[in-house]
Amino acid sequence: MTTPRTPFALLLTLALASNAFPKDAGKWVVGMSQCNLGEPWRVQMNADVRRAAAAHPELEVVFKDAQNDTLAQRAQIEEFVNSGVDLLIVSPKEAAPLTPPVAEAYRRGIPVIVLDRRVLGSDYTEFIGANNRLIGKAAGAWALRRLAELPAVRKGARARVVELQGLMTSIPAQDRGAGFHEALKGAPVDIVYTADMKWLEPQARLEMESALAVQPRIDLVFAHNDPGAHGAYLAAQAAGRERDIIFVGIDALAQEGQVYVRQGVLAATFEYPTGGREAVEDALKILRHESVEKEVTLRSRVFTPENVAGGGEWLR
Amino acid sequence: MPDKLLQLSNIGKRFGANRVLDSVSFDLFAGEVHVLAGENGAGKTTLIRILAGIYPEHEGTLELGGRIIRFRNPIEASRHGISVIHQELSLVDSMSVADNICLGREAARAGGLWLDRRAQLERVGALCARLDLRFSLEDLDRRAEQFPLSVKNRIEIAKALAGDARVIVMDEPTSALNHAEVERLFALIENLKGRGCGIIYITHKMEEIYRVADRITVLRDGRRVGTAAAAECPPPTLIRWMIGRDLAEQFAPPAGMPAAGPRAPRFVASHFTVPRPGPGRPPAVEDLSIAVGAGEIVGFAGLQGAGCSELFNGLFGAYGAVCGGRVEIDGEPVLPESPGASIRRGLAFLTGDRKGTGLVLGMSVERNVSLASLARMSPWGVLAPGLERSLAEHYVGALGIRLDSVGQETGALSGGNQQKVALAKWLATRPRVLLLEEPTRGVDVGAKHEIYRLLRSLAAEGLAILLISTELPELLGLCDRIVALHRGRVTGVFDRSAATPERVLAAAMGADSPEGN
Amino acid sequence: MRTLRRWIERPEGRALFALLFILAIGCVFNAHDAFFRWGTHRDMLRQVSVYGILACGMTLVIVTGGIDLSVGSVLGLCAVVFAQLSLHRGQPAVLAVPAVLAVGAAAGLASGAAVARFRIQPFIATLAMMVFARGLAKWLSGGEKVSRALQQPDGSFAYLDLPGAFERLDAKVWGGNVAVVTLVFLGCVALSWVVLTRLRYGRYLYATGGNEEAARLSGVPVRRAKLLAYGLSGVFSAVAGICQAAQEQQGDPEAGVSYELTAIAIAVIGGNSLAGGRGGVGLTLLGAMTIGYLEKILSINAVAESSRLMLTGAIILAAVLLQRRRVA
Repeated sequence: MTTPRTPFALLLTLALASNAFPKDAGKWVVGMSQCNLGEPWRVQMNADVRRAAAAHPELEVVFKDAQNDTLAQRAQIEEFVNSGVDLLIVSPKEAAPLTPPVAEAYRRGIPVIVLDRRVLGSDYTEFIGANNRLIGKAAGAWALRRLAELPAVRKGARARVVELQGLMTSIPAQDRGAGFHEALKGAPVDIVYTADMKWLEPQARLEMESALAVQPRIDLVFAHNDPGAHGAYLAAQAAGRERDIIFVGIDALAQEGQVYVRQGVLAATFEYPTGGREAVEDALKILRHESVEKEVTLRSRVFTPENVAGGGEWLR
Repeated sequence: MPDKLLQLSNIGKRFGANRVLDSVSFDLFAGEVHVLAGENGAGKTTLIRILAGIYPEHEGTLELGGRIIRFRNPIEASRHGISVIHQELSLVDSMSVADNICLGREAARAGGLWLDRRAQLERVGALCARLDLRFSLEDLDRRAEQFPLSVKNRIEIAKALAGDARVIVMDEPTSALNHAEVERLFALIENLKGRGCGIIYITHKMEEIYRVADRITVLRDGRRVGTAAAAECPPPTLIRWMIGRDLAEQFAPPAGMPAAGPRAPRFVASHFTVPRPGPGRPPAVEDLSIAVGAGEIVGFAGLQGAGCSELFNGLFGAYGAVCGGRVEIDGEPVLPESPGASIRRGLAFLTGDRKGTGLVLGMSVERNVSLASLARMSPWGVLAPGLERSLAEHYVGALGIRLDSVGQETGALSGGNQQKVALAKWLATRPRVLLLEEPTRGVDVGAKHEIYRLLRSLAAEGLAILLISTELPELLGLCDRIVALHRGRVTGVFDRSAATPERVLAAAMGADSPEGN
Repeated sequence: MRTLRRWIERPEGRALFALLFILAIGCVFNAHDAFFRWGTHRDMLRQVSVYGILACGMTLVIVTGGIDLSVGSVLGLCAVVFAQLSLHRGQPAVLAVPAVLAVGAAAGLASGAAVARFRIQPFIATLAMMVFARGLAKWLSGGEKVSRALQQPDGSFAYLDLPGAFERLDAKVWGGNVAVVTLVFLGCVALSWVVLTRLRYGRYLYATGGNEEAARLSGVPVRRAKLLAYGLSGVFSAVAGICQAAQEQQGDPEAGVSYELTAIAIAVIGGNSLAGGRGGVGLTLLGAMTIGYLEKILSINAVAESSRLMLTGAIILAAVLLQRRRVA
């Protein structure tokens, strides 16, 4: 078969050449491997990284989005390694399949910062993340305090709580739920309705409507994320019962959860920090050969109507 | 004394209640070409299929090289040295030429698992050289789909001969070949004869029959009419055998036919040409001119591949605006460009395949009847169901359609009634010119005559009717004029008084063609 | 009994039978009488309305023998555009709504042109539009939800008022007994019904799906009919996107993911044949209610997610098997 050979070779050379980054002297190139940009929270993470890096002209960040495909993220990490980045920041989709490429990068001498979701083992420079379990527990503790103030509960009735879960095959949802339940152990609280709303607002609304139809009295709704809490609020509002229910969510993005708190939709939302800014700052430290901690747990804030203007309140 | 390769004795075949072959005997000697001739439906294809092992159940015996055999499947037949080159090509487009030729007989190594490409190529190359098929080694490696139809024919032949067959059946092998290629095929046939093969050759074309045949056998209505050496069976005899003496005597115009009077031409086609898709292929219809007057019924007679169907499709605009020549309806020139435009100009076309292209079987009868007239019946785009129902009921009465209700699904009707629904659809468009392709196909005898009566009364009302039919009695009984087509060209025009079955069939087979191709 | 048999032989009868079957299940598993309260039914209708609007457009396309995989993505695209025009830029509904419908129509016509003019298979053509529209939605919205929180130049967020259109669409009328989006859904059903049964072009859709070549040779403008079907599907997707945005109070570029599968399921469970040429939007309405009730019953009984998925799959299969025509 006579295939045109010359253009093919030309294309191949161009492809290989374009994969290598132009190295300006004095500039550090950081690769950011994000598992997906479908969740607004991850969009926020990338935005935080971008904003933090903008303040440092000696840093250049290259973003790659794996669109929630494990194999694609693996390939993208390998691409970063092959093109010789100075540092790699990665937020992996899953731990096990992405541990080998991350470890490979680390062993080749590229510093690795793992953000938000873990890899297995310890072949990385630093892990930065928040602890979903602690956040869930804090939410549960806060909920208990608020529930104890309700007149019905003061008179001895058990509080009635609805839990709207995130996608329960994902670790964040499992951890948030587990923390919440841990805080509620032994307390006079019944979780009268539980449903998996898969992090989606319309689904949360559907489930809340069912809960409202079945339960005559609901005291508090705990949703694993703010869109879920908002969907539940809309359902309660349509039924005219929103004033009787306390709504609690997690994420506390400035344009979402915090706004809802300011508008009186949510009674409280718990920040799940992205860690983008911290990652960039620690990346600079690493590149300047300063030492950093191996495990960094980000602190979280709670936003309530009282403190939202002031930027929330740090937990513990 | 040459060997007798093949002896078929008293072969019979029935499909349900339908007897297709009745006690046919046929033999074949080494080194001869034995032509098998007959009209459509005479039973030729069925006989060949029995020989090829496609119909293991049949009456009669098959004797090959002295042994009586019954083939259980085509593979057995081919292993016994019988090779059939069908009309429909059986090549795999995406495979190479060499792979196609060796299909089913691949060269294999290591216990039959690994494909030995080189051995295959060499074997095929040797075969092609032996048959003078002019394929280079590079050609053999290219994919079959890259070659035009005529070359694919040659590949098909090579494939049939790759297994060292001794009995070779060729079914209309020249239908897509040009003059030079036909000559090469005939040279190949000589080559095969010289090597001791026997060839059964099926064709409609007079010029070919007398070019290649050593002997001719004619089938009619499933029976063998006669077998003779080519020299002892001149064309008139051949045609008489194909049609049958009794039929020729039976034909007579029915009483009470309206007298032919002077007519104004309603439909005129001048130098009409229908091209074939693809480069370098001869047109389906070439330079046809016909004028049909109001009240006239003109029939078109042609054998397979003559171009009758393509003519009507082209005139109706089914192919788009690709045809050459001029068409006029009632004096005003029209350009055949789309079915919708043709319907608006008063042209209607009943296709030959009602299930495939004539009716929407899933829709009700009344919706099928109104389908071609919707634009006229719904001026503001809104349907008028009452109007549709009464239209359908009118035609149910006029055509005698048997059904439960006009709301019934059309697929539930019998074939003959379905044909009437299709006819009703076109009559509902109030056409000026009616093109009918096989209007009585699959219709029982009673209904046939009803349709004939209807067509004559429509003609009497002033419609111009053009008709394709493969049933000679139908053409002869119905039409004022008959046009014979052969290979896309007009080979004969016969007035009612001058038309006889022999003449029409001869013209359709190309016998009277001035070129004698 | 014979009338019952005759009734079962019609597709509407079978669809109704499937729906009654599901309702019976609901009466048995009524979650402490929740199934007998009108609010539950009203909410079910609200929830299924967006899917039902998509299914109306899908029905038109299925009747022509095609399929439209892009309806979910076009919904997301239109939700984004509507939120941007109406919420962020404060355009009045009389301007925003027609603009969004035009966007949906354009997407539908593009798919239709690919199918009708360029003879691309509907599955492939609408798959391409599905991917393209989703990407366009994300690009227009910057990857974020177009919500009431609008980022100011100084980085803070202002909370915008909800436009009247949003409030009116998400409201309930007639004494709070019917959601407005349910009325929009029923309006779409009525419009589709008129097109399919009363208009000449509706007949063209059936003929094209039943036997395209026979239709073409009978003078049916097959290309234009297909363009109409896909174009209307795009318009319905836009309507669904507007309703979705109103109910979420935001334009989410991720809205509508996998909705096309639910729309197809609704059409098929109702009894429309994917081969084309038969069926109608009445069947779609019955299918929407069947699927809506199924989901609602599982929800009020707080059935676990894994069981829900398995039960839904099994019941869809059972409903379709119950519907099979005995071929004449």
